[in-house]
Amino acid sequence: MFLENCEILENRLVAGHNYLMRVRGDKTIDPAKAGQFYMLQCKNGFYFLKRPISLHYVDKEKRELEFYYEVKGGGTKDLAFMKVGEIINIQGPLGTGFSTDMKDQELLVVGGGMGMAPMKLLIEALSKSNKVTFIAGGRDGVAMEIMSNFSLDGIETHITTDDGSVGTKGNVIVKMEELMKDKKFDMVFTCGPQKMMEAVAKTAKKYSTKCEISLEARMACGVKACVGCSIKTKVGMKKVCHDGPVFDSETIVDFDPVLEKTETCCGN
Amino acid sequence: MNRLQTKFLGVDFKNPIVTSSGCFGFGLEYKEYFDPNILGGIGIKGLTVEPRDGNYGTRIAETPAGMLNCVGLENPGIDYFESHILPDMKANGITTNIIANINGKTVEEYVEIAKRVDKIPEIAVVELNISCPNVKDGGMAFGANPEVAARVTREVRKVTSKPLVVKLSPNVTDIASIAKIVEENGADAVSLINTLLGMVIDIRTKKPVLGNTFGGFSGPAVKPVAVRMVYQVYKAVNIPIIGMGGISCVEDALEFIMAGASMVSIGSAIFSNPMLAVEIEQGLQKYCEENGIENINELVGIAHR
Ligand SMILES: Cc1cc2nc3c(=O)[nH]c(=O)nc-3n(C[C@H](O)[C@H](O)[C@H](O)COP(=O)(O)OP(=O)(O)OC[C@H]3O[C@@H](n4cnc5c(N)ncnc54)[C@H](O)[C@@H]3O)c2cc1C
Ligand SMILES: Cc1cc2nc3c(=O)[nH]c(=O)nc-3n(C[C@H](O)[C@H](O)[C@H](O)COP(=O)(O)O)c2cc1C
Ligand code: FES
Repeated sequence: MFLENCEILENRLVAGHNYLMRVRGDKTIDPAKAGQFYMLQCKNGFYFLKRPISLHYVDKEKRELEFYYEVKGGGTKDLAFMKVGEIINIQGPLGTGFSTDMKDQELLVVGGGMGMAPMKLLIEALSKSNKVTFIAGGRDGVAMEIMSNFSLDGIETHITTDDGSVGTKGNVIVKMEELMKDKKFDMVFTCGPQKMMEAVAKTAKKYSTKCEISLEARMACGVKACVGCSIKTKVGMKKVCHDGPVFDSETIVDFDPVLEKTETCCGN
Repeated sequence: MNRLQTKFLGVDFKNPIVTSSGCFGFGLEYKEYFDPNILGGIGIKGLTVEPRDGNYGTRIAETPAGMLNCVGLENPGIDYFESHILPDMKANGITTNIIANINGKTVEEYVEIAKRVDKIPEIAVVELNISCPNVKDGGMAFGANPEVAARVTREVRKVTSKPLVVKLSPNVTDIASIAKIVEENGADAVSLINTLLGMVIDIRTKKPVLGNTFGGFSGPAVKPVAVRMVYQVYKAVNIPIIGMGGISCVEDALEFIMAGASMVSIGSAIFSNPMLAVEIEQGLQKYCEENGIENINELVGIAHR
């Protein structure tokens, strides 16, 4: 069973419009891994669809799940209004996660903005038996506030912000170039704005390094039933909710496909 | 006692609950949530002769109590369905009725897909989707043009021996007259409604949200329109109706049945509530028991009396 009513244990403003929600899970916890996501039901019946949100962290012993989300529109605003003790219906874990079963590798994790969401769990999973370097990027200090929720002992961490208010001024790509010039990484993992991931994938490719990226698409079902999140890849049409959200960047044809507009539409 | 047992076009259905095409994949996507055999039948994603990639760009948008989609009939094509998906459905123990939704861009394509589907014994019922734009006749939906609707129904009727349901588009002025026309041209039943044409604009980007500009509007928000249309069509024709459009709880299903639907189909509401089919099945049983109704069919069209 992948559907559960969970009690909200914490739902706090981290900074700006970014919130951290912690819930008590039970059935949906054990298979959960970094890069997977859950569909969260908004409280208000007005919002028809659930909202896809990445798993930020899972504590299997305490049976708790964490989600880090940004209030973008009505649905996520609804989530932000939910109070401790209230019940939220969640569905998951869904999709594929990042690859985490390698050993003794040099790994580079690049997170940007809300793309930091899945990185807490990813870094924990990878660092158990690998050397992990983490580049965290954001617009400003507000975007980086979430770092206080990360456990980064022993992780080489570089912070970059566009305005230079925290870490070095600049973007993650500059830092990535700097690091990759001197050191051979076995693999790169990234989640963040589309343009950023595109550049990360390009840079990884330049240094012949395999790269996993976590894509986004508007989703209705989350379980490959509606075909709403389908994208064209080198290996055919793939569902972001089921075959992804994590993909090998090499299989992605086009990050921002030119829209093929048709004159008419049957709607389905 | 199963008060939901239904005979529809000569086929036995353990209950009148089916899934709407495009909302339940190929029947296995929700198997971790409930046994798909609980359904009277499974409506599968619309099939075409050739595989289709569908539309590029954003395909889903949400609206109060509803959603829009412009999937563009992405499907793997009939060959792949036959060689891979159907065997997978069987291997996973799907024994309930399968309703195949068929589509084409020309009458010839509809005939071709109908012929192929006719040869597949596992398919119990054929649903002809006439909401597709008719490419040859200038892009107007088959279902919006009475003459074309008549022609495609007639031609498909000739090549299929299976029960033929024609799925009507609500994007017309007078749905009852279209229903009558397809009845006269060989439809054994009609299903309605398909999605309503709509659009959403993102005020930040000042552009339409959907990659295809327009999309099909569905979900609880469309229900009153759908119930009205089922009611009107029930009065106009003598063939049975599969009712759909916004069903999201047992009460909604009852409303459609009372308006005249012999079968009810669950569509996009399953996306937000994966357990909906189970809830409606149990809810209808309970309603019949509590109201002394021996069989659900006693309620069909009762609102007209
Ligand atoms: C697999 C996956 C994992 C995600 N993980 C996270 C996460 O951990 N934290 C987080 O804050 N967000 C995450 N998102 C994005 C999140 O789902 C959207 O921000 C949310 O659905 C917006 O809902 P809303 O009702 O607030 O916005 P709406 O009112 O629906 O839309 C407002 C704006 O939000 C954006 N938006 C809407 N839906 C999506 C979507 N599915 N993906 C991206 N942008 C969207 C659009 O720019 C839109 O204009 C994830 C998305 C996916 C597909
Ligand atoms: C994502 C999606 C895909 C659909 N695909 C098809 C399709 O392939 N063929 C078809 O006849 N109808 C299709 N439909 C229409 C539904 O079968 C149904 O008629 C409509 O959604 C109204 O019901 P609802 O409001 O319960 O969803 C689709 C609907 C949705 C939401
Ligand atoms: S969200 Fe429905 S297929 Fe991916």
